[in-house]
Amino acid sequence: MRDPSTVLVRPVQDRLTLAMRASHVLVAIFVALALAFAAIGVAIDDTFYLRLATEALIFSGLALSVDILLGYTGLLSLGQALYFGLGAYVSALVLQRVPSFWAAMAAALVACVIVGALAGLIVYRVRGVYFALVTFGLAQVAAKAVYNTRELGASDGLIGIPVVPVDLGFGTVQSNAPAGFFLITLGVIVVLYLAVAYLFETPFGRVLIALRANERRVPFLGYSPRAARLAAYVLAAVVAGLSGALYPMLRGFVSPELLFFSTSGNAIITVVTGGVGTLAGALYGGVILTVLKSVIGSWTPHHLVVIGLLFMAAVIFLPKGLMGLVRPWIERLLRRTAR
Amino acid sequence: MAPFLDYIQFVLAPQMITGLSLGVAVVLVALGLTIIFGLLDVINMAHGEFYAMGAYLALALGAAGVNFWLLLVLVPLIMVPIGYVVERGLIQRVFNSPDRHVTTLLLTFGLGLVVEEGLKIVFGPNTQRPPTPISGAVEVLGVLLPNYRLFLIVVGVAIVAAVALVVNKTRYGAIVRAAAYDRNMAASLGVPVSRVFALTFAFGVALAALAGVLLAPIYSVFPTMGRDFIFLAFTVVIVGGMGSIMGAVIAGLVITQIQALASLIVSPVWGDPIVFSVMVLVLVMRPQGLFGRLGHA
Repeated sequence: MRDPSTVLVRPVQDRLTLAMRASHVLVAIFVALALAFAAIGVAIDDTFYLRLATEALIFSGLALSVDILLGYTGLLSLGQALYFGLGAYVSALVLQRVPSFWAAMAAALVACVIVGALAGLIVYRVRGVYFALVTFGLAQVAAKAVYNTRELGASDGLIGIPVVPVDLGFGTVQSNAPAGFFLITLGVIVVLYLAVAYLFETPFGRVLIALRANERRVPFLGYSPRAARLAAYVLAAVVAGLSGALYPMLRGFVSPELLFFSTSGNAIITVVTGGVGTLAGALYGGVILTVLKSVIGSWTPHHLVVIGLLFMAAVIFLPKGLMGLVRPWIERLLRRTAR
Repeated sequence: MAPFLDYIQFVLAPQMITGLSLGVAVVLVALGLTIIFGLLDVINMAHGEFYAMGAYLALALGAAGVNFWLLLVLVPLIMVPIGYVVERGLIQRVFNSPDRHVTTLLLTFGLGLVVEEGLKIVFGPNTQRPPTPISGAVEVLGVLLPNYRLFLIVVGVAIVAAVALVVNKTRYGAIVRAAAYDRNMAASLGVPVSRVFALTFAFGVALAALAGVLLAPIYSVFPTMGRDFIFLAFTVVIVGGMGSIMGAVIAGLVITQIQALASLIVSPVWGDPIVFSVMVLVLVMRPQGLFGRLGHA
């Protein structure tokens, strides 16, 4: 007879852990490619492409936050730009007063936790279609409010955000250094990815996945769907806000467009083409979308037609996005090496 | 007493009547949305773009010399096959995916993006305004009301009444309600469910386009016109109860009145936040909305 304890001691290789490991591999490849890109950028003394790539990474962070909700909890947020914009505006306001990277990030974090929790009190009651429309409405209201507030620069936004030195402990990088700030952004996004990936491996993460699979059964297992949904919502708000906080450092301004529906919509397109529920898909998706926009945008100003068509094709033919094509292959590879 | 009466006559009444014509407009757009949701369980994010398509078709055909009265019939008829093809070609493909709400929402969101950009390519990004088909104004209760707005209110009421009659009193309506209530049972009783689905979707699209034709002379025509209107329409559908015709009518009229009257007190830019607060209040107290779903009464 087998000793049951050996079953417990053996590291459990369940499907979800394996999928997450495959995502880790994909993100490791992503980081390696990004580092190579930065090295080439420095070697040829490029500014434009490095800054474009930095912006792509920042929007990948927003997409990551959409994936937390859509991929793991099954909730489609149509208003994630609210927190992206909140982070950006708070960061800009702080930077205008104190030129400190860490103060700006901390302020954005605090603001997103507070606003996320307050809005979460409305949002956690609803799911499905209602969730989508309430988040849409919240972002719409916030965008209108910012657009009409003179203290926040109204339709012009806040301009003239100073260059900020990023003190890393072992050295300082200026936010206008293309390669340096690209690496900082890459670092922030990877840390956000790792933090989210870690949380999803905890029992909390499993409750979220259970919510997506069958919400009615979750209370019978002793977990509160609403509490988990609220936590996921605040987590997504923080991830979006911290990504947004990097935006004014890169561009030197913030505008109400960051809060508009097109920003939320782009993040959704990013996640769906990259791969819903993979986390890595958000990172790849951000880069793919930026490349597509620049390439198609150089042929025609109406690149949204092509992107919209590709997006519809992804929804119909690739429900798991590009990562859905690649990740099972890596999972198989990992399972073979685990044996 | 006199200043009070003056306030009613010169401030309150015009505001309420303007609100009423907006209300009828919103109800027209929301009607198609709520019918599509009630029957197909699909959130049509592209609804606003179908509304814009209707307005642009009216603009283009009107410029080609087609009479406005003919447009009211012609444009919805043109949109029916388009809606039918969209349902058959796109929505049916993902209809049976595990998360229908999210998948169809994403798909129609993409479609809306393509249509909006397509309108920009074909008609240019600028705002255009078709001529008002009925000019002049009448005095109603001491309030000067443009004839066209009066016409809009009357026609809107007639359309809503006609749709409600068709859905609730005719054999076709019964088929639609049966399919909404229990798809499998309806199918086994010989209802061609998938064709009913496609035709109902097409009907909802045609209604959106009809709203576009009617509203173009008032609100002008521009590529993003659908996006600006759809938030209000969605709010109306949520507050009234997703899939309820009666709910859409009542919520549409009440919400636009609240918005119209509130703009007397606070700046009109806060109209959207006020509407949103109403939606949140309703959702908190009655998450399913004020009225029940189509076929589930």
